[in-house]
Amino acid sequence: MGAERSGALIILLLGIGYLWEAFAMQVVSIGDPLGPKAFPIFLGALMSLLGISLLIKPEKGANARLFGKTSLGAIILAGILAVYGFGIEWIGYPIATVIFLLVATRILGERSWIIGMLLSMGLSIGVFALFTLVLDIRLPLGPIGEILK
Amino acid sequence: MLDILNHLVYGFQIALLPINILYAFIGCLVGTIIGILPGIGPAGGMALLIPLTYGKEPASAIILLAGIYYGAMYGGSTTSILLNVPGEAASVVTTLDGYQMAKKGQAGPALFIAAIGSFIAGTIGIVLLMLIGPPLGRFALRFGPAESFALMIFGLSMVSSLAGRSLRKGLVSTTFGLMLATVGSDLPTGILRFTFGIPKFMEGFDIVVVAIGLFAVSEILTCTSEMQTGEFIREKVTGIWLSMKDFIYSLGAIFRGTFLGFFIGILPGAAHVTASFLSYTLEKRFSKNPERFGHGEIRGVAAPEAANNAAACGALIPLLTMGLPASAVTAVMYGALLMVGVRPSPFLFQKHPDVVWGLIASLYFGNVMLLILNLPLIPLWVKILSTPSRWLFPIVLVLSFVGVYSVNRSPLDLLTATTLGLLGYAMVKLDYPLAPVILGLVLGDLMEQALRQTLMISGGSLRIFLRSPIALTLFGLAAATIILPKILYRGTDKLDVET
Repeated sequence: MGAERSGALIILLLGIGYLWEAFAMQVVSIGDPLGPKAFPIFLGALMSLLGISLLIKPEKGANARLFGKTSLGAIILAGILAVYGFGIEWIGYPIATVIFLLVATRILGERSWIIGMLLSMGLSIGVFALFTLVLDIRLPLGPIGEILK
Repeated sequence: MLDILNHLVYGFQIALLPINILYAFIGCLVGTIIGILPGIGPAGGMALLIPLTYGKEPASAIILLAGIYYGAMYGGSTTSILLNVPGEAASVVTTLDGYQMAKKGQAGPALFIAAIGSFIAGTIGIVLLMLIGPPLGRFALRFGPAESFALMIFGLSMVSSLAGRSLRKGLVSTTFGLMLATVGSDLPTGILRFTFGIPKFMEGFDIVVVAIGLFAVSEILTCTSEMQTGEFIREKVTGIWLSMKDFIYSLGAIFRGTFLGFFIGILPGAAHVTASFLSYTLEKRFSKNPERFGHGEIRGVAAPEAANNAAACGALIPLLTMGLPASAVTAVMYGALLMVGVRPSPFLFQKHPDVVWGLIASLYFGNVMLLILNLPLIPLWVKILSTPSRWLFPIVLVLSFVGVYSVNRSPLDLLTATTLGLLGYAMVKLDYPLAPVILGLVLGDLMEQALRQTLMISGGSLRIFLRSPIALTLFGLAAATIILPKILYRGTDKLDVET
């Protein structure tokens, strides 16, 4: 099964799963003829039908290479991003950002650690200053905040 | 007519007071910064900066806020074009062709046409606001939930059928966006839908989080994978200035976008998002070269940018003529007016002419100021693109993440953005268009509520739609956009629609 049909299968499963959840909703509605179930049921049905249609007769001219080596870099970067996302709260914005920038620039081809370090430090502080000083949006400081106290 | 001129002169006398010029300038500058940073949109930015207006004259306060509003919309298009980072839902449309132009080395002309298109649209929009604002405000009252529902159906079917190469795939994207919109607690009943017991999902998906995930993050993931296989190409910057030829070529699109945007802007709901999506798809639909759209067509930048700005003017009409805030941004303005002691009402024009005419005059003035502020910056923005990708991409990711984080201060939002980034990556590879997801998410809630309100009014009978000529016309147009291309272009690939 090619990527095109796999996509259609995922759409069909999404449609059915969504429809299942929509039907399972416990609803008491007074004075609301349509209620909160009808719209989701319509969406789930539409999605399932589109999935079936694309499964039976895939769109012509699509030559997707979704899996395999081409997507590896993207998946690795997404993994690092997810860790960075949680790191912002765990170890604070400044440290998390410096580490993320060091790793990400390295992956994308930066050879020199010194340039990477300078860039990471400078940028992390610059963005921090912009958000806290200009826009008054606080970012978590993590352990650094403890030391500053 | 003379009356309006007198009022306008009066308005300019207020707007051109040195202190108010200063406020307009500060507003435009801060607004531009807010617009450039991902995450905080015009409404959020205005709400954030309301404290700045404490203790100011009502006219000064509203001039400051209007500057932020306009500036944020200008700034939003800059990052959409340069980096595929839409700062808010309406600038998603600008990424479609703007970012492609930037990739082809034409970031300069794209930024120019966005700035000039916004300027022209803003100027015409203000004139229309003055001349025909009050009667149009009364017309907008005839737009009940039934008509709103019909308009949203029309918008979604236009975008589904024209966003990608395949109608079915466009519909999948739209439906997916609508599904995302249903996650969270249902407003009228308070029932939780599709939250799977996760408290975070109760609030539903934030548009900014989804837009940055699907566009900014997924684009960088795509570029990363292309860099590793050596397919990644960013062409050298060919020119910074907009050529006269391109300007004249785009002028028609700017005017069409302006008028469409203005009239849609008056209507309640997510008007400026609908306006920019609709103007883009209409431009593509009636273009002689629809296949160029999505690959760096300058009209695809000009039209939605103009529509977006004109809609901003239109959205002021319900607020100024009837005291009704019809959009998030005007709702913030409503709050700000209350705070400075002005109660928006149908009598705002009579009771507080200094506020109304001062605002209108300052919009003119802010438009000129933004153009002066932004045009010299364009060469500077274009320079950003010569930063090596190995530095630029991580920087964009950090800015996007901080922007997303600042919306709700939630690391789960960052995880959502990353997941949607991967999803967007897969969707691009499989040729599913991304833009309809955003429009679906923006309109989903409004659309469902409009439908349910309509049926509550009618007691459950669908016949209410038959009694509204406006709704019937819009439904007809919606059906036509889905069916007509199939009939007209049967066997040809004129619109790239596969039959």
